Amino acid sequence: MIPLHASIHRKMLVVMLATAAFALLLTAAAMLYYDLRSFRQLWVTDLTAQADIIGFAATPAIEFEDRQAAADYLESLKGKPSIIAAAIYSANGSQFATYTATGGKAVEFPALPALDGYSVKGNELDLFKRIVSGQEILGTVYIKAQFDIFGRLLNYLGIVGAVMVLSLLASLLIARRMQQKVTQPILEIAGVARTVMDKRDFSSRASKTTEDEIGVLVDAFNGMLAEIEHVIDERKRTQFALEDSESRLLELNAELEQRVEARTAQLAAANKDLEGFSYSVSHDLRAPIRAIGGFAVLLGEDHQTELGEEAKRKISIIRSEAARMGQLIDDLLAFSRLGRKALEPSDLDMAEVANNVYVRLNHADPNRTVDFRLGSMPHAWGDRALFEQVWMNLLSNAIKFSAKKKQPVIEIGGISAENEHVYFVRDNGAGFDSRYQAKLFGVFQRLHREEEFPGTGVGLALVHRIVTRHGGRVWADGKPDEGATFHFSLPKEASDGGV
Amino acid sequence: MRSAFLSALLGACCIAWSGIQVGQAQTAETVPVTERSIKAAYLCKFAGYVEWPDARIHAAKPLTIGVLESSEMADELIRITAGRLINDRPVQVRRVTGGDSLAGLHVLFVGAHEPERLDELLLPARKLPILTVTESAGALSDGSIINFTIDRERVRFEVSLAAAERSRLKLSSRLLAVAQRVQRTPES
Repeated sequence: MIPLHASIHRKMLVVMLATAAFALLLTAAAMLYYDLRSFRQLWVTDLTAQADIIGFAATPAIEFEDRQAAADYLESLKGKPSIIAAAIYSANGSQFATYTATGGKAVEFPALPALDGYSVKGNELDLFKRIVSGQEILGTVYIKAQFDIFGRLLNYLGIVGAVMVLSLLASLLIARRMQQKVTQPILEIAGVARTVMDKRDFSSRASKTTEDEIGVLVDAFNGMLAEIEHVIDERKRTQFALEDSESRLLELNAELEQRVEARTAQLAAANKDLEGFSYSVSHDLRAPIRAIGGFAVLLGEDHQTELGEEAKRKISIIRSEAARMGQLIDDLLAFSRLGRKALEPSDLDMAEVANNVYVRLNHADPNRTVDFRLGSMPHAWGDRALFEQVWMNLLSNAIKFSAKKKQPVIEIGGISAENEHVYFVRDNGAGFDSRYQAKLFGVFQRLHREEEFPGTGVGLALVHRIVTRHGGRVWADGKPDEGATFHFSLPKEASDGGV
Repeated sequence: MRSAFLSALLGACCIAWSGIQVGQAQTAETVPVTERSIKAAYLCKFAGYVEWPDARIHAAKPLTIGVLESSEMADELIRITAGRLINDRPVQVRRVTGGDSLAGLHVLFVGAHEPERLDELLLPARKLPILTVTESAGALSDGSIINFTIDRERVRFEVSLAAAERSRLKLSSRLLAVAQRVQRTPES
């Protein structure tokens, strides 16, 4: 009935007009029904009264035989166009006076009057009414009337139609004026809502003009807008802060990286300088210490006769200490060289490498009776020369620290774990206190006195350096006088070999 | 229009016919009752349009009609009022002769007389509330209230309101409407 997209303004107008029209139609229908129903009865009552009036007025005319007066009374009916004919009959039933409406058709009057009452034929009505004075019947009034019910209906509908048109126009005007009070605030809110939707402008507000539900709506709407605006503001601010801190973080990060890079470069340079220094120091120290050792030998040999026993003994101490220092310098140079040498990895049969090293060591001192147990070992990927040094150091350590046992036992072997190969060397020698485990692999760190077990303290540091350069780990466990076990692992995947 | 004319014509014929009857009554002695009976009937009907003073007080009493020196009229009246009520009252007819007391009468009929004699007969009734009815030409000037006339051979009547007022009687306008003539001021 009302299009969905029509404005609330129009919808309300339609609703109001429809209500008014419906009410009017209903009222008109009810009135029409009532009127038509009561019309004939009213009409008959009216005509009867008319007949009574005529009869009463005409009574003296009948009584005193004045036909002209009676006819004059009847003539007064011409004011009633619905009455087309009338007559007065005298008491004996003869016509006393008659009346026919001017312009009406010829009417045939009944020959004799009937009893009081009326009869309807089509749209014509015949009515008889006796004239009674006291107890005497003086005559009868006859009225013939025509009722134009269709004309009345048309007339009625015409009036109803006119009234409806007028009242609808009036209610249209009133509704137009009054509904503005209701729709204007709603339209305003809708306008603001449209602005908000179109322009994304949450700062606009609807103005409040009423204190009713629409007023509440306006308040709620404005409240929501304010809330949204606030939230958006907050979000923007947060975003700004976030972006700001992010950029600052990035800046900081870049700066940090730069600094780390710089420091690393500095460190690398320092390391290089240090290594270069220690190498050159070691290298330069070698010549004087050889000279000391050499001249000590020359002194002992050339002046053998001139020297007492005591002097000879001191010269031999100088010689051995010079030799020891030379050894120390050699070890240091080896250790230092390790950091500078590039790895040359290949497939290694570890069992073979270890066995060769052991045979070479044993060859130096064939009197020793060591129970050497060589277990199976997985192949590994590494630098052969370096791993020969690893085994050399580990095995010579094991031999050295187990030498004081009655029956030294050295056991080596290896297993494959998930990601790595693990190799071990176990002896039943002097062992060590596990509290000092951390110190084992440091350069020049020694757990035993020089007099007990000679050594420079570089060996295990060298092992540690080689294994870690191959991406593996080194560790050891043991107890004093119960032997020690040294482990090292190598990754199954080849490592590129940075320190 | 045409039928109205016809009925008017018919009415005129009727009147003519009744006039003939009246005429016959005057000429032939065999039917003298016609004019007399019409006048007697009218006489009874007049009472319905007249209001007497203190009517309520006397409502229960019979309506008394006096007839002065006209036994024919008295006979006719007695005949037609037997067992009849006028204004819900029984009717009593009294024969009156000159010099009789008129007290208690409501209506007094005086037959045809010379004006001097009539004036003399009506004089006692003037101060009393009595409807005086006469049948002599010019009787209204002699103090009569209603006087019968013959108009185109039809019985009609004329009324003197001044005389009625003097007798403290009220006449209905409906009666006046059918009177031939209504005299409103006393004639000198």
